[in-house]
Amino acid sequence: MNFSIMFDKDKCRGCTNCMRRCPTQAIRLINNKAFINISKCIHCGECIKICPYNAYTPESIEWYEQMHDSPKKYKIAIPTTTLYGQFPRGTDICKVQNSILKLGFDFVYDTSWAADLAAKALKLKIENEKKIRPYITTTCPAAIRLIKYRYPSLMDNLIFIKEPMEIAGMLARERARKKYNLKDEDIKVFYISPCPAKLLAVTDPIGDYKPSVDWVIPLNKIYGELYREVIREDNMTCSYPSLSGMKWAVAGGQSEHAGLNNYISVHGMENIIQILDEIENGKLSDIDFVEALACANGCVGGTFNVVNPFIASSSINYISNSLPDECINPDIDRFEELYESGFFNYKLKEEEKFNKLSLKEAVEKNEKIREICDKLPGLDCGSCGAPTCLAHAEDVYNNESEFDDCVVLRVKK
Amino acid sequence: MTDRFLKRYSYNITANDFMSAGKGSSSIKSNLKSLGIDANIIRRIAIISYEIEINIVIHSFGGKLHCDIYENKIVIVSEDIGPGIKDIDMAMTEGFSTATDSVRELGFGAGMGLPNIKKYSEGLEINTGSTGTLIIATINL
Repeated sequence: MNFSIMFDKDKCRGCTNCMRRCPTQAIRLINNKAFINISKCIHCGECIKICPYNAYTPESIEWYEQMHDSPKKYKIAIPTTTLYGQFPRGTDICKVQNSILKLGFDFVYDTSWAADLAAKALKLKIENEKKIRPYITTTCPAAIRLIKYRYPSLMDNLIFIKEPMEIAGMLARERARKKYNLKDEDIKVFYISPCPAKLLAVTDPIGDYKPSVDWVIPLNKIYGELYREVIREDNMTCSYPSLSGMKWAVAGGQSEHAGLNNYISVHGMENIIQILDEIENGKLSDIDFVEALACANGCVGGTFNVVNPFIASSSINYISNSLPDECINPDIDRFEELYESGFFNYKLKEEEKFNKLSLKEAVEKNEKIREICDKLPGLDCGSCGAPTCLAHAEDVYNNESEFDDCVVLRVKK
Repeated sequence: MTDRFLKRYSYNITANDFMSAGKGSSSIKSNLKSLGIDANIIRRIAIISYEIEINIVIHSFGGKLHCDIYENKIVIVSEDIGPGIKDIDMAMTEGFSTATDSVRELGFGAGMGLPNIKKYSEGLEINTGSTGTLIIATINL
């Protein structure tokens, strides 16, 4: 698995901010330095945002070599919808698209075209299948993973419509195969991403499909180069992005685009946790769709973006509400055919399904953890290196730390 | 599937203590959640145990709330010392209540307690007399 969050030990002062913030309690302090348990990390980027010493940086590997050192491959770029919100007001969106080509790509497939298709698929699935309520969006890779680790009983509520990035990758590949008679291995698909969790969606997806995107390029890493091209670019014709599809970059955009009227749009880690709690308590079953996005303001809040999320969402809304929609979506006519063939749907892999302990095992495990926890002071001070006393008790139960790591008890002795 | 007993959670409930009413049932809820029990079942149990808890607070002189976990079922047990239920058939009627006005002013005593407990459980047993009441509600897993 590629790990998209780099950690600089020298910058870490052991302040515990990230450890307390982490929504899956994946961070512990070991010898006064933060340590991420990779198997629990959902790549939401909360630690990156909160660290006062900038010890965490989002990163994606190998894309640069892949982009520049494989001249024989047919290279496709899929720019995130948030990209159009990263330039000054009034920047021509065709200039942006053409500049991506100048960076060395053979073809640009806009995510907003795929979003057009995904919105239709969402709407149909919600209208036709009324058994599960509420459905939860599967576009945010961090939110899906949060559900997997913290709310496993809600895995069934996920809507399992492929996200626009994946749809774009599949359709762009198909196009290149047919048009130039290429083999799949001669095509390289790059996603220009606002979000570190997309790397995980590409290398280690939740679901039974083989990802169509090969490499994830952090938006901020090519922004400078791209901006220089945008300034120089004078070609103002292109296959126009879909302006309503572009709204997926902003929270609430996908529900709006799908034409839903009974939905909740919730964004920001703390907020989605509150809503997921509600759903888990059996409430909100009168709601059709929950658009839960881990970053504040939606994808424009992702850590790879350059511009402030509020400014970016304003720019996106400005573009999609004020420009004339000249979009010629290359694949919109194929929607019926694709939908019938099950193109948009996927399932969980067998091993990803919610596998609970037998009640007997669960009771025994709980008793042992509680026994340990009852001996701890209950201050949740974090000095032992775990975020709460209960988390420390779980670590001790799992043989991952020593009971005597508790500083408070040691001082009392 | 066996109906082997695994674990009992117990809570003391004080009569007329409206401030802490609900603490027992919310603790049951979080305990069941940590055992990985299905959210819909937890919700039913939460309703049942809350109604039972409130009944003890309003109508008895004090009692206990238990949550018994078996391999194939969960049983909510309420035992209290008090005047008992005078007319069980009437008490099972929606909207019938013997709560005093002062209790109703607090927002309780709508007459939905026992009807709700019956509605959300799969088996309900009530033993009542002039010295107290024992209620056993069963929810199958």
